[in-house]
Amino acid sequence: MTQFIQLTVYGLANGAILALAALGFVLIYKATSVINFAQGEFLLVGAYAFYSAFVLLHLPVMLAVMIGLAIAIGLGVAIERLVLRPLVGEEPIAVIMVTIGLSAVLKALIQIFYGTTPRTMPKVLPRGSVEILGAAVPIDRLVAVAVAAVVLAAFSAFFRWSRHGVAMRAVADDQQAALAQGISVPRIFALAWAMAAASAVIGGVLIADIAEVSQSLAGFGLIVFPVVILGGLDSVPGTIIGGTVIGLVSQYAEGVSPGASQVVPYVVLVVILLVRPYGLFGQPRIERV
Amino acid sequence: MPGVATGIYHTSYESDLRLRHTRSEKARLVLCIAAVLALPFMLNNYWLGIVNAIGIAAIGAIGLNILVGFTGQISLGQGGFLAVGAFTSALLAGRAGLPIPLAVAGAVVVTATAGAVVGLPALRLKGLYLAIATLASQEIIEFVIRRWHWLTGGQGYLEVPPLGVLGWHVQRTSFERTWYWVILATAAVAAVAARNVFRTALGRSFMAVRDQDVAAQAIGVNLTRAKLSAFALSSGYVGLAGALTAHYTEIVTWERFTLDVSVQYLGMIIVGGLGSIAGSIYGAALLMLVPPLLSALADAIRDAAPFLADQLPALQVAAVGVVIMVFLLFEPRGLDRLWRRVKDYFGYWPFRY
Amino acid sequence: MTRTIHTISAVLLTLCACKQSGNTPTSDEIVLGIIADLTGATADVGKPYNEGMLAYIDDLNAKGGLKGRKINALSEDYAYKVPNAEEKYKKYKQAGAIAIQGWGTGDSEALRTKVKGDELPFMSASYAEVLTDPKQSPYNFVVAPTYSDQMRIALDQIAASDPGAQVAVFHHDSPFGMAPVADGEQWIKDKGYKLGYKDYAMKGGATDHVGLLQQAKDQGARFIVIQNVSSPAATVARDIAAQKLDMKIVCLNWCSDELFIKLAGAAAEGHWMIQPFTPLSVAKPGHAPVQAYGKAKGIDVEAKGLHFVQGWYTMHVMARGMEKVAADGKPLTGPNLRAALETMDAVDTGGVIGPVKFSADSHRGSLAAGVYKVDGGKIVEVAAAVAPKK
Repeated sequence: MTQFIQLTVYGLANGAILALAALGFVLIYKATSVINFAQGEFLLVGAYAFYSAFVLLHLPVMLAVMIGLAIAIGLGVAIERLVLRPLVGEEPIAVIMVTIGLSAVLKALIQIFYGTTPRTMPKVLPRGSVEILGAAVPIDRLVAVAVAAVVLAAFSAFFRWSRHGVAMRAVADDQQAALAQGISVPRIFALAWAMAAASAVIGGVLIADIAEVSQSLAGFGLIVFPVVILGGLDSVPGTIIGGTVIGLVSQYAEGVSPGASQVVPYVVLVVILLVRPYGLFGQPRIERV
Repeated sequence: MPGVATGIYHTSYESDLRLRHTRSEKARLVLCIAAVLALPFMLNNYWLGIVNAIGIAAIGAIGLNILVGFTGQISLGQGGFLAVGAFTSALLAGRAGLPIPLAVAGAVVVTATAGAVVGLPALRLKGLYLAIATLASQEIIEFVIRRWHWLTGGQGYLEVPPLGVLGWHVQRTSFERTWYWVILATAAVAAVAARNVFRTALGRSFMAVRDQDVAAQAIGVNLTRAKLSAFALSSGYVGLAGALTAHYTEIVTWERFTLDVSVQYLGMIIVGGLGSIAGSIYGAALLMLVPPLLSALADAIRDAAPFLADQLPALQVAAVGVVIMVFLLFEPRGLDRLWRRVKDYFGYWPFRY
Repeated sequence: MTRTIHTISAVLLTLCACKQSGNTPTSDEIVLGIIADLTGATADVGKPYNEGMLAYIDDLNAKGGLKGRKINALSEDYAYKVPNAEEKYKKYKQAGAIAIQGWGTGDSEALRTKVKGDELPFMSASYAEVLTDPKQSPYNFVVAPTYSDQMRIALDQIAASDPGAQVAVFHHDSPFGMAPVADGEQWIKDKGYKLGYKDYAMKGGATDHVGLLQQAKDQGARFIVIQNVSSPAATVARDIAAQKLDMKIVCLNWCSDELFIKLAGAAAEGHWMIQPFTPLSVAKPGHAPVQAYGKAKGIDVEAKGLHFVQGWYTMHVMARGMEKVAADGKPLTGPNLRAALETMDAVDTGGVIGPVKFSADSHRGSLAAGVYKVDGGKIVEVAAAVAPKK
């Protein structure tokens, strides 16, 4: 039982961060139909930007988070404008490859400037552990889950009720109609990338605090795919459910057999693709000839 | 200008079916063959080794282009299929003691079958979903080759006997040169075979699936057969490349078959040109040459700018990424198209088009 | 745009064509190829190791070299990727190297048959058992006790402390990680120990190893032998502290360093280390030349850590071999260097590592390692030069 509680908490923490990363992916896909293979690298950039501001420049936490957000959002908007705008209308494989090339460049740049040694930072989240039903559970992971939940709820509320959120949903549904309504589509594209970068930064900061700042953060980027396929490529609540499920299932698998967590998300992915390709909450795509 | 054709007119089926029509095309072909035959005598062993690696990569890239460029099925699973080819050939040659040509043939068959198996779910999926499904297959195969201890006998790596057939063995002193001829022969046969596939009905059905699969089905193309054949044929080529890698490097480890390798091959065919056999070769050459050229550049300017040499591996990765991005932004049809434009420029000069 | 691309690439190609053959050695220089990990997965230990090696060569050249011949060390970064290592090897061979210093298990394995065929002595920081057998690897030389030896020493220490304990082995998911696992199990049988033994592969880049610790806890493990580098080992240490588990880590040489203490912080206290190369916090006569060099060049060798010393002395052993070839009046070729390494007297390293001696039957340089403990944030010696029990 104690093992189950522990694995559940660790799994939820990982799942929360996965959901944050996947949220960015879904935002971009919904608004611009671009598949962003560089999502993991956004997490990496966000974490390292925060690290630089917080540890190297000794700024207070909130200011460091703001700076991290600013850098990541700037990067996101720049990428959208310089790299993806020229590729509007090209085949999906071209867009996929551009984001893959981008992810390689970003990862290499981080490696050049920061090296491969993992970096530690002073803890921002509270230390220590708390007893739940006899299992010792670290507080920082519980706080991470809470923070992620708040952020995800805020994003969902944004989409539901704010003007820009509704505008984004309109652009995702039908670009022509949104243009006809006077919505500035290029601005919505930039907003989507900015928000994706922001959610990646928050996820990156959380994981950097729980574990350490290192190149391995980019690995989260690949596991985003099982999450979004499970939840549905264009569904925000689906992302949250998908992230939680994949996070939990991976951790339980790790508890049963070490190393299994590397392959279990992909097995889940294959099963979902065979059974329900559009995911739990996704919209089926109708193809017109 | 006598070399330029203002139109190509055929008066017999035989002349229509030839691979090279105009005199200038034939002249370039002869030059190409001459250069390729002279190459091993002009380069030192180090660069010859790089050319050999390019040759093997070209075979793999042709295979991938058959699937992605000609049939329109996006695949991120090359690393996995290379691994299947490499391990199969290594195990057949090493543990089962088969002669190497038979082991390589066995590897091709096994990988083609594996490709067909992975292609089964592909029948229902398209575009991004297919890409993600092949990503899953890559990660699963990678997991299996890392964890299945029987493959490497518990050591984590598999040693492969050096190239040798019927009593003759490759010598270490002429290692690169011997391999050059082997790889050249194999790649030439593979490229011509692939070129010919697309002059048959099967090949044309691949292209029909790429262009408009619903319409293709309407006119009687068997989609299942076309897609599965494409996966099988492509994987066969990739398995051949994997088997050659195993015997050339004489060691098989999982590190050569990661997702990065799949991405690198996709980069090769995009940079070279989707849907073009020659393009696959150009793309393979360019992407495989970027790291050694950068390394040579770093050596040359080592004293002036040590930064390049210090961060060389990261810069090599970044450079390949930048090359891919630059091509996608400025010439998405790849080197093949670029070369055609160069030819046209000289062909039509002094006219613009 | 395309024209610009064409011109730029043409310029670059011509630049590189000019310097095609790389470094052309002068006739009295000794060319040595060094394959190092400076920016890859094991760079945090690979970089100081490489720096120590280059420091030794620099020091040797400054003192006049080997009988007046200077060593031209071609040292490049392969970022822990085996295909890069193979390319560097071909490059060094082309440049006329007579010996190679490698780094990791991956490249050592990959190049093993090649160095055999090309007759180039190869030393590295991979202490895998197969490299010590001259029948299988005639041109490989291993300076320190192998991972299997270190495992045997660790098991001896555990058995002495708690004869009936359960031992969990956490290892890197690779040939490097698996190297000592089977031999450890065999040792328990051979010595008749009553220890329980189970191995677990650590997932690369994991942010926590809670799952593994759970399984170790279910096994009832009191000791965890870690065959991995410092960063994952530090993660395990932090997890053990967070969960208040009563488990002791026994690090084999690659996590037994200052980096482990730095990354784990307070969680590193009390854990054991098996390290063949004496850290600078335990002063030995052999540290003096290293510290003198550091002082002269303004390098803080304590900050570099024990891997700097490791690289220094590994090169020292090879240099001794080269000296013997010169002393015997033979030309410095690969096969002659191999013969010299096999027949030379034991190399004294001033206590940094036990006297290093190779022979025609064994390319295992030494058998003993030091046993250390983390005490007050420092590495403290528990027992020096412990060999596996006979």
